[in-house]
Amino acid sequence: MDTITQETTCILALVATLMPLLSFAGILLVPGRTDRGAFFSILNISFSLLLSVLVFIKVWDQPVVHQQLEWFTIGNWHFKAGILINNLSALMLLLISLIAALVHIYSLKYMEGDPYLFRYWAYLGLFCFSMFGLVITDSLLLLYMFWELVGFSSYLLIGFWFTRKAAVQANKKAFIMNRLGDLGFLTGIMIIFTQFQTLDISLLFSEGGFVSHATIQNGFWVFSSNKMPDIWLTIAGLAFFFGAAAKSAQFPLHTWLPDAMEGPTSVSSLIHAATMVAAGVFLLGRIYPIFNSEVLLVIAVIGAFTAFMAATIALVQNDIKRILAFSTISQLGFMMLAMGVGAYGSAIFHLITHAFFKCLLFLSAGAVIHEMHHLKEKYKLDIDHQDIRLMGGLRKFMPLTFITMLLAALALIGIPGTSGYLSKDAILIQAFEWSEGQAGFWKVIPYSALITSWLTAFYISRLIFKVFFGRLRLNDICGQTFSLHEAPKIMTYVLVALATFCLFPFFSFNPLHYEHSWIIEGLNVVSNIGRVNIYHTLIPAAVNLFAVLIIYLSFTWYVKRGKSPDLSNSALFRFAENQWYFDKIYQNSFVNGILLLSRSVFAFDKAVVDGFVNLLGRATVLIAGLSQWLDRRVVDGVVNGAGSVTKIIGNFARHFQTGRLQHYLVTMLLIVLSFFIIKYFSQAI
Amino acid sequence: MIPLAHFMFVSAALFCIGIYAVLSKRNAIMILVGIELMLNAAILNLVTFSKHDKFEASGQVFALFAIILAAAAVAVSLAIILNVYKYYRTIDPTKIDNLRN
Repeated sequence: MDTITQETTCILALVATLMPLLSFAGILLVPGRTDRGAFFSILNISFSLLLSVLVFIKVWDQPVVHQQLEWFTIGNWHFKAGILINNLSALMLLLISLIAALVHIYSLKYMEGDPYLFRYWAYLGLFCFSMFGLVITDSLLLLYMFWELVGFSSYLLIGFWFTRKAAVQANKKAFIMNRLGDLGFLTGIMIIFTQFQTLDISLLFSEGGFVSHATIQNGFWVFSSNKMPDIWLTIAGLAFFFGAAAKSAQFPLHTWLPDAMEGPTSVSSLIHAATMVAAGVFLLGRIYPIFNSEVLLVIAVIGAFTAFMAATIALVQNDIKRILAFSTISQLGFMMLAMGVGAYGSAIFHLITHAFFKCLLFLSAGAVIHEMHHLKEKYKLDIDHQDIRLMGGLRKFMPLTFITMLLAALALIGIPGTSGYLSKDAILIQAFEWSEGQAGFWKVIPYSALITSWLTAFYISRLIFKVFFGRLRLNDICGQTFSLHEAPKIMTYVLVALATFCLFPFFSFNPLHYEHSWIIEGLNVVSNIGRVNIYHTLIPAAVNLFAVLIIYLSFTWYVKRGKSPDLSNSALFRFAENQWYFDKIYQNSFVNGILLLSRSVFAFDKAVVDGFVNLLGRATVLIAGLSQWLDRRVVDGVVNGAGSVTKIIGNFARHFQTGRLQHYLVTMLLIVLSFFIIKYFSQAI
Repeated sequence: MIPLAHFMFVSAALFCIGIYAVLSKRNAIMILVGIELMLNAAILNLVTFSKHDKFEASGQVFALFAIILAAAAVAVSLAIILNVYKYYRTIDPTKIDNLRN
């Protein structure tokens, strides 16, 4: 591609990035009604979508587009800012703009009637801007800045209903967790900069870039004249992964995501299911060459563990959004696992397919919640409108929502014919292939992923059966017969649009072979390993066969028999219900630890520092008292003494001044007489 | 010839009477009279000592001056007293104390 086309592409991408910022600034700066900004935002994001499509067409399977400008200079280091669009970022740009546009349209109806809606649109604009910036930037420093902005806008949106205490708690938690991860990211950036003296992603991580030229020699990580112990390479990788783990809600920083469900469902769908949480996976994809085998192993283990843990928790939750949140964590674990086992393309592929079907799951759940909420408002019921135990039989009232959600659920399970099948089986197969070359113990990882995918089948079918099949259990509880409506038309359009993206043709013309998916082909630098071994046939078959059995099991439990075995007293059930006690552990160790620390520091402050200051104060008061006494008694005494002496003398002299002429004359006479007498006698003597 | 001492006694007596009048009287006119008495005592002295004057009776001439001056002073004083009386309705000097304090 020649330079002129490159520049046009960059400008297109830049404009696509800036449009949501325009809605953010426009909505906040132009005063108006409190629900202003909806159409402005939708217009802008649609324009972004259009531009993203153009960029995608221009860039996909073409040479990388990279343009940069001088940003600032410190000493001899020149920092550049620019736009780097390769297949990965073009794909992300398209994905984010598409989902953002759909969610914008969905929110039009979903958020209707909420007070101060302009903040919602403005925050969405800010989020989309930072997310676009994050995927197209070419500098790690800029990437970090957008990373922070994404976290910040997520914070704003989680706390959109800031009058709810839970929402405020949740956004604080999300922010703090993300800040912890940002520390890791920053550490990674600093190590990279120390070693390579640049933060340019294309210089560092492209094929034949700096990172691939750096070598390990005698326990040192060497790049041209710089060298440092090779442990730093591992530390850098782990630091970046820590950052990614916070954004993508991986163990041990995953606890913020379920709480983030306090935000509006459309926000959960866009940010906490489809885009922002994928930023961690995207980051790993962007800087993939930095990871050495130890870090990759850590990533795989953490990913597999997170996937398994979140899936077990999702089995027993009753809040429709929480189930989906844990499902998201679990699926993100899958992506991390894929990254860890070297299935870079599959990880991104799963990111894309997951974005669509998880977004759809959330939006469908949003439609259900919307209608349940209406019911609750209408009849003034005191219920939790997100509790799946109160729902049931909704497929009769909301057939379209049911069908779309069912499609998304099938994609999540990975039934053949859906997008999820392609990406999930790609990950499983590659995980098994990877474990071939590993020591015995690590073979646990692909098996745990396999079990996780069966757990997934169970929890999502449990959700579907409980919500859409059987009878409306609310009727039994309230002793009334309620009826619900289908969601508003605009919302169902969005659901249908997303549902089409859950089907295989968008990703691969062959519904059974992920290797032919254009995304995998576009992202994998190395050529695909063909269907060389048994895994490619055995695993999909095993997964799906068993998944169908599990779905049938949950069907008998929740629909046919209408009751499931009561396990709520078993230890495992409670363990999962309490989310593996992570919140409690964190509360007891970190939160309480910090509280204890701060209390002891407070006590120290109070006793020692304040004590010293107070002592100083008291000493000063004492000295002041002394000096006051001195001042009053001595200095004032002298002055007052002089005054009173003068007064006494004055009073004495005053008596001579009678004002009577004759007295004066007598005095005069006496003085003159005495003068003469004295004179006379003194002469005589 | 009357010895000089007699004149001196008379003069001293006059002066003392004058002083007494000035110091003790509550009437401005009487004080004025006292002053005149003291003046005359002085004049008497002048006249007395002019006897020993080696030049032509300059003491007596001076006495004449003094008498004229005294007359003028009395005239002025009486006028002041009259005005004081007009203003204060009294000529008791102890009661005229506007400038006090």
